[in-house]
Amino acid sequence: MHCCETGNALTMVAHMELSNLFTADFIYNLARGPLVWISILICIIGSIARTVQLLSYTRIKTIDPNIDFSSIRKKPPAAKGGGLPEPGLFAVLKGTILGVSPVTILVSLCFHICLIIIPFFLLAHNLLIDDAIGFSLFSFSERFSDFLTIIFLACAAFFLFRRIFLARMRAISTFYDYVVLFITVAPFLTGFLAYYQIFNYKIVIILHMLAGELMLVAIPFTKIFHMFFFFIGRFMIVNQHTMGKGSRTW
Amino acid sequence: MTEQKSAAVDTAEVKRMLDKHKAKMKMSLSLCAHCSLCAESCFLFNARNKDPKYMPSYKFINSIGKIYKKKGKVDKAMLEEISVNAWKRCVLCTRCYCPFGIDIPDMIALARSICRSQGVFPQYDE
Repeated sequence: MHCCETGNALTMVAHMELSNLFTADFIYNLARGPLVWISILICIIGSIARTVQLLSYTRIKTIDPNIDFSSIRKKPPAAKGGGLPEPGLFAVLKGTILGVSPVTILVSLCFHICLIIIPFFLLAHNLLIDDAIGFSLFSFSERFSDFLTIIFLACAAFFLFRRIFLARMRAISTFYDYVVLFITVAPFLTGFLAYYQIFNYKIVIILHMLAGELMLVAIPFTKIFHMFFFFIGRFMIVNQHTMGKGSRTW
Repeated sequence: MTEQKSAAVDTAEVKRMLDKHKAKMKMSLSLCAHCSLCAESCFLFNARNKDPKYMPSYKFINSIGKIYKKKGKVDKAMLEEISVNAWKRCVLCTRCYCPFGIDIPDMIALARSICRSQGVFPQYDE
């Protein structure tokens, strides 16, 4: 934002106000204050609304009272090792996705655990939360958070390379998949850079706050909503691979 | 695989069939994380030298997903393309496994129904 050298006083004032509006300080205060609360609100209300919407698409499964379920499901199906004489651990794992792609599953597990726990138990976050509302969760040591962040970024890199270099991933990948990965990783990457004060700290911390807020807003409205759909889809809605009994159907 | 080359596609009928299953389809399509973990659960994928075109997610994205994206406004050529994914590359054995519990066979079965309603289906006796 540069003011024009020419032009009448009125336009100069207007330009000055505009340039003041977008100073780093202004964006910093905006991102640190109201945008945090707005994005958290959007995240919570949006997630509840989408969960309600998803549940409204399904209905409670009606069960015939005459069927005696106690006799069924005592034995796991043949595909899960039922009927086989006492299968060992490796035999059971063989047909599962953990057995088929153990590296991807373990990386995915680390990625998702880190994704959830890092922001909640980060010392810097908890200091700010304590400042704002008077209490906060306990914090990991900075060293440990750092370690987790490096693991998280490594896992994200694994996902990115997998998407770029595996033919099966390329076959179904769209630009949107990269955008979602970027939205997820950006807050962690910028946070890491800010902690080590790499590049201009002020700009990086602004980007970090904006990236975090973008991710919060994106949770209910993008594929990231799978964090809720996973539990509803696996445990509540009946399908062939439901875990547990499942009480709802489409 | 040949298809009947009769009248044009009745897009209103396709839309009606889509709308009937909209919720499940929309959720499944929008929440598929494109993780490709379903691949090995398909015996055809394993048998066809791990060709990505036989991956369950590829088949459901490129059958019902395509029809849904076009909001039912598909033409015969596209339905013929889709029928390859819905019949030739999938036998509806229902063994595919999605970590999220997306009901892939149901989606492909719906794509088949839509194709069949428009006279696009394989005729093996010709």
